[in-house]
Amino acid sequence: MNTKIGRFLLALVGFAALLLFPIGIDNPYYIHLLETIMIYAILLFGLDIVVGYTGQVSLGHAGLFGLGAYTAGVLVYKLGAPLMVALIASIGVTALFGALLALPALRVTGPYLAMVTLAFGTIIQILINEMSFITEGPMGIKLTKPPLFGHKLDEREFYWLVVVMLVLSLVVVHRILRSHLGRAFEALRGSPVASDCMGVSVYRYKVYAFVISAGFAGLAGSLYAYSEQYISPNTYNFELTVLFLLAVIMGGRKSRIGAMLGATIIVLLPKLLDDVELFRYVSVALAVLVMVVAVVGVQMKRVTPKQMAIPVVGSIALAGLSFWLQTMTDWRLSIFGVIMLFVVYYLQDGIVGFVRNALNLRRPKARLEVEGAGIAPADAVATAAMAGGQPEVLQASGVLMQFGGLKALNNVALTVRRGTIHGLIGPNGSGKSTMMNVLTGIYVPTAGAISFGGRSLVGRTSSDIALSGIARTFQNVQLFGEMTAQQNVQVGLHHTFRSNLFDVAVHTPRYKRESAAAANRALGLLKFVGLEAFAAEEARNLPYGKQRLLEIARALALDPQLLLLDEPAAGLTAPDIKELIAIIRKIREHGVTVILIEHHMDVVMSMCDTVSVLDFGQKIAEGEPAAVQADAKVIEAYLGGQEAEPQPA
Amino acid sequence: MQILTQLIFSGIALGMIYAVIAFGYQLTFATSDTLNFGQGDALMLGALVGLTLVTLGVNYWLMIPLVCLFGAVQGAVVERIGVRPAIKIKSEFGWIMSTIALGIIFKNVAENVWGRDDLKFPSPLPEAPIKFLNANVLPMEILVVVGAILMMLAVELFNRRSIYGKAVVATFNDRDAAKLMGINTGLVITFSYALSSLTAAFAGVLIAPLTLTGATMGAVLGLKAFAVAIIGGLTSGMGIILGGIILGIAETTTGFYLSTGYKDVPGLVLLLIVLAVRPAGLFGKTAIKKV
Repeated sequence: MNTKIGRFLLALVGFAALLLFPIGIDNPYYIHLLETIMIYAILLFGLDIVVGYTGQVSLGHAGLFGLGAYTAGVLVYKLGAPLMVALIASIGVTALFGALLALPALRVTGPYLAMVTLAFGTIIQILINEMSFITEGPMGIKLTKPPLFGHKLDEREFYWLVVVMLVLSLVVVHRILRSHLGRAFEALRGSPVASDCMGVSVYRYKVYAFVISAGFAGLAGSLYAYSEQYISPNTYNFELTVLFLLAVIMGGRKSRIGAMLGATIIVLLPKLLDDVELFRYVSVALAVLVMVVAVVGVQMKRVTPKQMAIPVVGSIALAGLSFWLQTMTDWRLSIFGVIMLFVVYYLQDGIVGFVRNALNLRRPKARLEVEGAGIAPADAVATAAMAGGQPEVLQASGVLMQFGGLKALNNVALTVRRGTIHGLIGPNGSGKSTMMNVLTGIYVPTAGAISFGGRSLVGRTSSDIALSGIARTFQNVQLFGEMTAQQNVQVGLHHTFRSNLFDVAVHTPRYKRESAAAANRALGLLKFVGLEAFAAEEARNLPYGKQRLLEIARALALDPQLLLLDEPAAGLTAPDIKELIAIIRKIREHGVTVILIEHHMDVVMSMCDTVSVLDFGQKIAEGEPAAVQADAKVIEAYLGGQEAEPQPA
Repeated sequence: MQILTQLIFSGIALGMIYAVIAFGYQLTFATSDTLNFGQGDALMLGALVGLTLVTLGVNYWLMIPLVCLFGAVQGAVVERIGVRPAIKIKSEFGWIMSTIALGIIFKNVAENVWGRDDLKFPSPLPEAPIKFLNANVLPMEILVVVGAILMMLAVELFNRRSIYGKAVVATFNDRDAAKLMGINTGLVITFSYALSSLTAAFAGVLIAPLTLTGATMGAVLGLKAFAVAIIGGLTSGMGIILGGIILGIAETTTGFYLSTGYKDVPGLVLLLIVLAVRPAGLFGKTAIKKV
């Protein structure tokens, strides 16, 4: 709690310092410089949502920034729009274009997305240049500082406006990232498949993240237009977009301080390069610093001399270069390039991450969310909806799943009765996991019908199926590794939120209520599987057996009618398995139907009401456990038949 | 009609250049799942080095192998500095950032060495147009088409027929399995980058006499060629030739009928549309994700 107050005080001091800056230093050049840094920081907050949290590369943010600037510029220039109208319109228009870009672009990832966003940025720049009837083309638009409430702002007052906007953006971004939206963003990066199967549509939330990010870019752009008082198309070029990306990574992803740091660097660096004298001092200082770090590092045996050779030689070469060159301005881009390479290889976690590492600080530990409602319920599993409804919860017939020439599932029929534990067994590669993937919409079956609670599942998306009441765990654990156990479960509780972006931004009572309920329920679910002690631990740090239990807790958060467990006992010790059996029994007591894939025969035989056996994609037996165990075909599938056995004609 | 035919001809020539650059994207993507965001700059460097060689008195035809050699070395450097370490540290978009960074450095160096102005590249063939189908065709345009096709054929033949090519194909199919079979996959990837930049540099000296040469010529070419690579499918085949021609013609006609300022727009819009409709490319195969 103390650190929280400490951080708050620190933020307050920083805020006050920012506000007082123009009173202490009256030089308009410095005021403008700081103003630019803050404007970039607003954009970087947004960009960090896309880059840091959802893990996508956007090279289109300079374009979005330009869109914001031009929306404000054109509105003011052509229509004389007042400040607030211009700001809001900029956010709106840019978010709209962000959506236009995101809807097609975010179906792809990685290099594709980078190229698409780059193409988008280039189009924007061309359009601004060519559509002179709106944008005045290469001539650019001149603006003056805006009036607010009938009073024309001067340089200093506009600076204060930017400070206020920065703080507002900071608060809003922070709240978004702490909310169920932020968790969704982080989850889809951690494991896209698991997100979809938790009812958090990866595609939708990627688009959402991008649109929010675009909104911030728009706000930053409009402020920039007023701040510069002149906008022209060439500002919003490739170089700027790369610079933004560099700033996010260099400052430190997933960190607001990192974004502000990054903004400072990319604004000051060009100024630094313009001044050769200063640059010489700085590069010498840098070379000395790198050398000291290298020597200390080698002595403490944290790095090998070989690892440090490149940075040391590089920084000395840079210093040498600065004395050799008469002017740095022409080589500015090369120096940016070198810095980028340096950041990619040596500063992946950004400056913030580096400092944390060096000082041995951990990320501020995600605090356990317990606000509001008292003690977590011991039994937080919801009674399955429709319990006692129609007896067949799931009916599949003639399911065919073909990968090229391979029939992973061949004409499989499966009927699961409500409230039972249905075992699905078979040798490796018999199609059990494929069946799970078909049931949860990850694969669309080549042929066949599947109905769940009377509705067809074929062709529906994973997240839609999840929300209709089918939850699952995965054979290879698919947790959101960088999130805590509690947050993992909270992602499963995403469906309990009705709050929208506005609720999150202003913390309406509805959001507070939902958020507290979800935090509490998540603790309850963790308690149900015996993980309450690990609630604040990052999922990737849990032992394997606990990770499997956490997956079950997360799946239960969906309030499923049907729970698919894919080899939950794999890799568990004997006592853990006993615990697991007890948990599965308790789940059934809540009316949740369970389909269990398992290789531990004792588990299957002791718990299941019905067992279906798959072999080479075909169902070869079905019935009560004892009967299946005695079935000749099953024994043959597991132990192999006799070579000479005559083939039935 | 005459004008249109002419636009189509120059569109085809331009399109073949896109196809060659796109081919370069395919080469590296096939072996390493990465591509060089500075591919356009590789082309630009090739063109400028070629120009310097020609100015120094080297014959155009003699210059081509030299430029190809330069391109190969440049590609290998990109792979060693920008791609390999980034793949090794398993940074998600490390290689995207590092190839962009190298591209920026190359461009900036070119600006400082060759200046910021566009330069004229002397044409090795007569500049008088030939009449063909009632339209004027520059001999250089024919050379571009023939050269581009020969280049791609040569690489394809190499991949299919030689044992080294088989190593490339094997690495493409399954990197780990290829490694276990004793193929030095690292070397194969370096080689694919060298080959990729070689084709780009070659494309650079082909296109240079038709356009102006300068440090900024690469960036947009590289981006539009990516659109072509997407249309053709990043992992497969010759769809890029068709994609290149479509884009080339779209561009020359837009430039003529609308405004030269807009000439880059169709390619970029095409890129957005193709990705929206068929992310695997018009001719590519959709891969099935395994869970």
